[in-house]
Amino acid sequence: MIRVMSRRGDDRITWDEQKVLAGDPEATAAVREAERIFAQERAKGATAFRVEPGKPSQRIDQFDQTAEQIVMVPRVVGG
Amino acid sequence: MSLITQVLTALGWIVVLLAISPMVWLIVQPYFKGWSRAERRAADLLRDTLTPEQFRQLVWRGYLEVPSPTEPQRVYRVPRTKGYIQVIENGRAVMRLCVQPVESLPDADVVVLHKLMIEANEENYLQKANKYVCID
Repeated sequence: MIRVMSRRGDDRITWDEQKVLAGDPEATAAVREAERIFAQERAKGATAFRVEPGKPSQRIDQFDQTAEQIVMVPRVVGG
Repeated sequence: MSLITQVLTALGWIVVLLAISPMVWLIVQPYFKGWSRAERRAADLLRDTLTPEQFRQLVWRGYLEVPSPTEPQRVYRVPRTKGYIQVIENGRAVMRLCVQPVESLPDADVVVLHKLMIEANEENYLQKANKYVCID
């Protein structure tokens, strides 16, 4: 799943990794869309984190379809 | 002004308010609904990201303590709502940080943002922050 923070809360896209591996067209399309959003948000300055329960979060620079959850946060500035 | 005039004026205002209130509600309703939906989604993400202990701390104490991944004696205290992040070293507040997203986000999302940035991107986080040193 990818979750992108925004003023609307977070927008999310989910996919089933097993279905992607099995070639399911719907799951594959979801992954492609998630990958496109990942690239688009990164281009806007967002930072991506791989978040898994019980593990420290990890910053990622490349889209990882095997990640249980990717959270994208917008660019931050000093206030 | 006589009592009757005052009563009539008050009644007139009540009628005007009753007449315009549905219109005002129609105008502001989408904003209320949109914001509460955003807050609900942000709260879901917060619950998914925090451990039960962290969530309790945030609710009861009003802040979340995020240990520094690089400095064992340092803890970042992230408030539940908008405000400065306190940097605590050896139990003492040494600095306040001001960091904010360029886009307006629900408060719960901002807490998650700080937690993720501190845990996985601390150096960059500190570079971006405006720092205010605490002097005793």
